[in-house]
Amino acid sequence: MSVLVIAEHLRGQVRDVTRELITAGRELGPVTVAVIGQEPGSLVDAVNLDGVAEIVTVTIAAGEFENDAYQAAVEALIADRQPRVTLLGFTVNSMAYGPAAAVRLGLGFASDVHGVALDGDAVIATRSFYGSKVSAELDFPGADGVMLLLRPTVWAPAEGQGSASVSSLEVAAVPSRARHREIVEATTSSDVDITQADFLLSIGRGIGDKENVEMFEELAEKMGATLSVSRPLVDAGWMPSSRQVGQSGKTVKPTVYLAFGISGAVQHLAGMKTSGTIIAVNTDPEAAIFNVAQYGAKADLFDVAEELEKLF
Amino acid sequence: MRTVVCIKQVLQLGDEVEFTDDGLDVDPEYLDPALNEWDSFATEEALQLRERLGGEVVVVTCGPKQSEAALRRCLAMGADRAIRVEGAGRDPFSVARALAGVVRGESADLVLCGVQSSDAVQAATGTALAELLDLPRAAVITRLDYSGAGTAVVDRELEGGLIDRVEVETPAVLTIQTGINEPRYANLRAIKQAEQVEIDVRSAAGGGTPAYRIRKMFVPERGEGAEMIDGSPAEIAARIASIVKERLA
Amino acid sequence: MARDPKHDILFEPIQIGPKVMKNRFYQVPHCNGFGSEKPFSQAYFRALKAEGGFAGVATEYCSISPESDDTHRMSARIWDDGDIKNLSLMCDMLHERDALAACELWYGGPHAPNMESRCVARGPSQIPSDFEFLTYAIEADKDDIRYLQNLYVEAAKRARTAGFDIVYVYGSHSYLPQQFLTPFYNHRTDEYGGSFENRARFWRETIEMVKEAVGDDCAICVRMSTDMFLGEAGTQLKRDCLPFVELVDHLVDVWDINLSGIAEWGEDATPSRFYPQGRALPWQAAVKAISKKPVLGVGRWTNPDMMAEAINEGKLDIIATCRPSTSDPFLPKKIDEGRLDDIRECIGCNVCISRWEIGGPPLICTQNATAGEEYRRGWHPERFTKAANADNDVLVVGSGPAGMECAMVLGKRGMRRVHLVEAQDDMGGTMRWIPELPGLGEWARIVNYRKIQLDKLKNVEFIPNMKLSAKDVAEYGAEIVIVATGSYWSTDGLNGASHATIDGADASLAWQATPDQIMGEGKELAGDSVVVFDNDGYYTGVSMAEKLAMEGKKVTLMTPLGTVGPYMHFTLEAPNQHRRLHKLGVEIVPYHLPSRVEEGMVVATHIYDEDGHEKSFAADGVVWVAQRRSNEALFRELKDSIGLEQLKAEGVDALYRIGDCEAPRLTADAVFSGHRLAREIDSADPSIPLPFKRERRMVDAESVTREKAEYEAMYAGASS
Repeated sequence: MSVLVIAEHLRGQVRDVTRELITAGRELGPVTVAVIGQEPGSLVDAVNLDGVAEIVTVTIAAGEFENDAYQAAVEALIADRQPRVTLLGFTVNSMAYGPAAAVRLGLGFASDVHGVALDGDAVIATRSFYGSKVSAELDFPGADGVMLLLRPTVWAPAEGQGSASVSSLEVAAVPSRARHREIVEATTSSDVDITQADFLLSIGRGIGDKENVEMFEELAEKMGATLSVSRPLVDAGWMPSSRQVGQSGKTVKPTVYLAFGISGAVQHLAGMKTSGTIIAVNTDPEAAIFNVAQYGAKADLFDVAEELEKLF
Repeated sequence: MRTVVCIKQVLQLGDEVEFTDDGLDVDPEYLDPALNEWDSFATEEALQLRERLGGEVVVVTCGPKQSEAALRRCLAMGADRAIRVEGAGRDPFSVARALAGVVRGESADLVLCGVQSSDAVQAATGTALAELLDLPRAAVITRLDYSGAGTAVVDRELEGGLIDRVEVETPAVLTIQTGINEPRYANLRAIKQAEQVEIDVRSAAGGGTPAYRIRKMFVPERGEGAEMIDGSPAEIAARIASIVKERLA
Repeated sequence: MARDPKHDILFEPIQIGPKVMKNRFYQVPHCNGFGSEKPFSQAYFRALKAEGGFAGVATEYCSISPESDDTHRMSARIWDDGDIKNLSLMCDMLHERDALAACELWYGGPHAPNMESRCVARGPSQIPSDFEFLTYAIEADKDDIRYLQNLYVEAAKRARTAGFDIVYVYGSHSYLPQQFLTPFYNHRTDEYGGSFENRARFWRETIEMVKEAVGDDCAICVRMSTDMFLGEAGTQLKRDCLPFVELVDHLVDVWDINLSGIAEWGEDATPSRFYPQGRALPWQAAVKAISKKPVLGVGRWTNPDMMAEAINEGKLDIIATCRPSTSDPFLPKKIDEGRLDDIRECIGCNVCISRWEIGGPPLICTQNATAGEEYRRGWHPERFTKAANADNDVLVVGSGPAGMECAMVLGKRGMRRVHLVEAQDDMGGTMRWIPELPGLGEWARIVNYRKIQLDKLKNVEFIPNMKLSAKDVAEYGAEIVIVATGSYWSTDGLNGASHATIDGADASLAWQATPDQIMGEGKELAGDSVVVFDNDGYYTGVSMAEKLAMEGKKVTLMTPLGTVGPYMHFTLEAPNQHRRLHKLGVEIVPYHLPSRVEEGMVVATHIYDEDGHEKSFAADGVVWVAQRRSNEALFRELKDSIGLEQLKAEGVDALYRIGDCEAPRLTADAVFSGHRLAREIDSADPSIPLPFKRERRMVDAESVTREKAEYEAMYAGASS
């Protein structure tokens, strides 16, 4: 069962999700990684990892991602290599071309997939429905190939030196109807709006005293995070309610939610459980927040915080 | 100008869940319908275009009779016409085909979809629709600059807070991200008036392979908890730091 | 929804003497203003807690003799058969709901002013009360002591007859038995005073006697304050209480452990302003450590995790509440059903207590508009009938406490559509910034609870960032319009003392401000010194002074009243608030009214100075907490400019207003007003509250005749 992985990169850097796709693909069969770009050769080393059998480069005219170009490249790659499974990361870029290629080629398709398995010859993908409360197993009867967009951070990134063969594929240029102009840094507003933050460092009752808030404020600043809190701290008057995450506060979906001393009361979880990556540090191993977190540590908050400060 | 907005009535699950007898879906008794959050932003964007450039806003949905409530919300916001197409499967490709069948006949300048639906989170229907209509597309738009003709300049919201500014030829399909605008509310008069509007109902042509088939639906085991990081505080901190840096890269 | 297994311990039954409590939730004695003379109000109030899952429910303090009459304050009474009859209704209704009934036998000694009975109390020593002025007791001799003890015994028997399962020998808060125990009250030199053993004698003997009289049928509870915070003179944990526990533990079936005397009993009924929940836990744990009997105690408990923790850590056996059981009688049920976000949490404002302190009125609750209304208005906090006119759409303008409550109840009553529209970007009105005043963080629960409930109601939509003009309202499309636009603080010095504005007062100037401007709009006053003029009487002026002092300003808090924030005396917040202000160096200037203000100066006169001498106070800034005014503009425009007829033509059948925009009032009353309108939205004229039941004796022919005959018989044969 051959697997085609489409590498994702931005500004000359291969994104971590690509390494995760390799790990996932390895479990299914020999992995071919395709690098599509203006100078794909410069990215080959970054994807030459343990488990990659083959690397194919496709040169396109555009300096950054453009969906028509990627679609044409991927369709050509699939026609050429006939993979059973094509893996993309469930990312903003993939959303712009993956479904188009799949519907055009008559592939099976599913996105935000967090589990892949084989049942005999059939590919079984597992994903969530209804706001992550239930999971479903999907199969793709009648489809020759399957394209899956995998949820980032589920598979561990592949590591280790690989010994892949490298080749290139010529793909005829197609008109690019959505053309990349420039990358812009998003402007940050001066008002604290925790719903707009990409990275929240959140503190709860476990921090003990009001005096400790300052320590976490400083840590947040050093880490480039915005400080948010759970309700008990607002009740106690230590922080304003504009910083409160929870059912009666704000609902947040940052890329990273790092929680210190938050047990995970239902009302709090309701406000943050769809965050991208949730990391929780708490002394109580039974804390409910560990049920929604991707990573957890049962440890002393202050020790960990102290160590973290040294790293940023 | 004419903007077509493809919307979805999503089904929201509360804290309790039971499955249908065949185990392939949640029992509808446990689901509450609502207009997909992304689609209210898409509808608002279309209304703002109409305010600036004149023309018409048409909302289209693929769904059963109860999904007309979602269309009526958009009508109450100010959409001009509503079309419902029924009889298609629920996967993104079946929906896209059904929508394409309707949108094709509308001569739209822009087709707006939400980035994703809150209940399925496939983020695929809009892009698949664009392919079926053979239209240029851009996905995850947080800003739209369009004068009514020619190219549109859009901002795509990438991971990590970066913006990719793109020039898109029109007519085009754009998938709209939340936060692009502030969706207007409809007052009770508008809601009541929307109740009276006749909705154009069509049947999906059918055909084409679905994107996937659900073979089983279940509540995931709670054991799928956090990956616990062991070690000394320094080791824990190191791991946390690397995860954070990776995710925000 | 299922109960969180972590909370299972709260639902384990527990043996109390000859009785069994089916779970660990107990409503400890607390006042409600109903006593024995409003038996239906009393019984319905208490029964509701049992319905909500409380396994044990107590009366308020229950006087055992006319010598212990707390008028003006309302206590229960168990003096005679009539009282037995009346209180038995409460017992019956509690038993019907599987709860135990407790009677807190009370004798106030020198604290009871006896203003109705005109009797005189007896006490250990003749020192006037530190709580009530002008109250002296007879210094009890041995006969008096026997008499007093017998009062307890007879009262206990009456309580048993009435159906009570638990009988208290109540000493806490410095009432009679604890007065004997405490040197502060007991200067005796006989065997009832002096050494610990002597001081403990009265209480011990009384417990023995009561136990002998009713102990087979009733559980004996002893309620004790473990520390009066009066130093050596007061009751102290180690010197007096723990030895007392050891002394009588074998007699007691359950301990009710709290803190403080009566003069500053806010140290026990802790306002959230100064104490978090579970304050008394260390003392309760100390008793639990040496007692072999179950221990219960209050702590303003609202968090089930903390409740379970207290029991699991061996600090308490039973979670006792008063205020949280009033703000949500269904607290136990909601925990049992895992519906934690439906719990209407106590905010610790003590407005309930303030009604008792004022003396007379029934209790009210900021969070729970139905508290006290169970019988009088038939309101059940969890049950709502479908409105007869449910087939209507409602527009509520303004989402402060009144608007939120009204929209919520209308939603629960099944109105077709309710739009709660708010000009600001979020719900709460002034209750968005009030919790940001020092210490008032828990008051945000007023908004939090309603936000969650409103979110759950499918027929209610919240629309922020929409400021509606009168025209918008008229054209909104609602058949019923409810205006809830709140109030603002007067900007021109208009106040209730002089009924006039103050020369120079103008909060639009940079150096003057109102609380709305500072808290709601972020207006900052420049300079080092500020005069806060306060004629409000409750927390706002005092809180503004505290806040500005904490920011480093030199604050003068001026009031025409004799003291600042007098209502805070009733909420038990005054002593600590004064300590706070004193610590912050706030200069309090009572009895002064500004005659004029100029930049840099406030000129004021002493209100009792007949010559009107002016005194100048340096002030870089002035904050006006003079009085509130309703935000009436929208309502007036709708009613006067557009007019009801024109509104009808637009489809608006009814126009009402609620809360502060009608007349400024306590938050508890604003919430009540929203609740009432919604409960009565389908009455003939919802703008006029429906009559409520009054428990009173009504004249009837038979009793007129009988009374007349009795009176005449009394004087038959008397000389004129």
